Amino acid sequence: MSETILGIGDYGAARHPGGVVKTFALGSCVAAILLDPRTNAVGMVHVALPDSSINEAKARQRPGYFADLGLVLLIQEMAKLGSPANGRGLVVKLVGGASIMDHNNTFNIGKRNVLALKKHLWAYGLGPLAEDVGGNHSRTVSVFVDTGKVIVNCPGRGQWEV
Amino acid sequence: MSKVVDREAVRQAIEKLPLFSSSALQLLQVIADPDHELEDVVKIVKFDSALTMRVLKAVNSPVYGLVKEVTSIDRALSYLGERMVISIAVQENTGQLFSKPLEGYQSRQGDLWRHDLFSAIASREVARYAKGDFDLDLAFTGGLLHDIGKSIFASFWKEASQDALGQIEQGIVSDYLMAEQDLAGLDHTEVGYEMARHWQLPESLQAVILHHHHPAEAIECMQPLVYAVHVGDIVSMMAGCDTGSDSLKYHLDPGYEEFFNLSPTNLAEIVLNAEEEFSKAETSLKS
Ligand SMILES: [Fe+2]
Ligand SMILES: [Fe+2]
Repeated sequence: MSETILGIGDYGAARHPGGVVKTFALGSCVAAILLDPRTNAVGMVHVALPDSSINEAKARQRPGYFADLGLVLLIQEMAKLGSPANGRGLVVKLVGGASIMDHNNTFNIGKRNVLALKKHLWAYGLGPLAEDVGGNHSRTVSVFVDTGKVIVNCPGRGQWEV
Repeated sequence: MSKVVDREAVRQAIEKLPLFSSSALQLLQVIADPDHELEDVVKIVKFDSALTMRVLKAVNSPVYGLVKEVTSIDRALSYLGERMVISIAVQENTGQLFSKPLEGYQSRQGDLWRHDLFSAIASREVARYAKGDFDLDLAFTGGLLHDIGKSIFASFWKEASQDALGQIEQGIVSDYLMAEQDLAGLDHTEVGYEMARHWQLPESLQAVILHHHHPAEAIECMQPLVYAVHVGDIVSMMAGCDTGSDSLKYHLDPGYEEFFNLSPTNLAEIVLNAEEEFSKAETSLKS
């Protein structure tokens, strides 16, 4: 088994047997997960903010940080492993986007991340088949090449499949 | 209830904690004084050879990519800023407290240090958006120590913690702090406050530790500082730099609006800057 661990703003994909792509403690960040049922490739991007226009330098340095750029890069990464470059036929799942209790509009980053990802997915004609988003808990998520399963872990709550 | 924590045992655990070195304590006192200057910090560090060595090691860490080796403490300090010296001094004087896993919170080794360091940096970033004058490094120091109570509380909390999330979900208690109170009879802010008193930390830091989840309860003159850390702590949890099962299970107090201009864009900048500084700080402090 080889694990690809993604930090905040990272993206990555795998299709070799035993491969796992994993990211820890999403908080208000969102993991956009892509699965290709034909090649068995799986990919994930760990997005922290909805829109790259707020900081151009950072957008160049760490594009995966932002929903708009991160998704494009992940689809390109999947294409390197044989998936269609236009994203057609990919299965999408979204995990994360939690918030603090009693958040106001300013602290609503989680929800804005989810909405931004959906908007950009839509441009590809894609939408999430499943999602585990919102709430007040931080999620760790692993995606398995062999089974195509998306498993979420949360300290004190155990684990479940999305 | 049988699960209620024995306060006397907690008190004894706190009493056994080694005191801060005099230079570390002096540093924290100087930082808490709004009129202090960098020169005051330099003087204290110069008198502590172990601290001097660690500061020089940190500034020469490859993450900063300095071409020439820094050998003078003055230069190291003006490059790193007071906050890195504070981090080093606190790290040196708290031993294993920050690094051990927090049992009751199901957090991993080093998570408390990472959470507090991220909160420190984020609190300082929040303070930059203050409507009035603000001592940025004091906000940092408050953030760095805000959850220190968890280090002692966690092992006492281990058993009672099982029901915490269920109680919150069922609405029996409104947040994680209330769950601690309800199930254990005390919470991590109280324990931290007692630790701060044991160490004789400055009052402003004691207030941050005690009130960071309910900043409105702090006395008025301390509120800007406590609110900065309140928000910095939340940013840290949002960024996934948390201590496990309690993550995000606290309330946002909108009272911060009185002291800080935080738009969604400002908050996004705070997240970006904090994350960038955090990864450098974390690496250089390991060296
Ligand atoms: Fe706390
Ligand atoms: Fe905290």
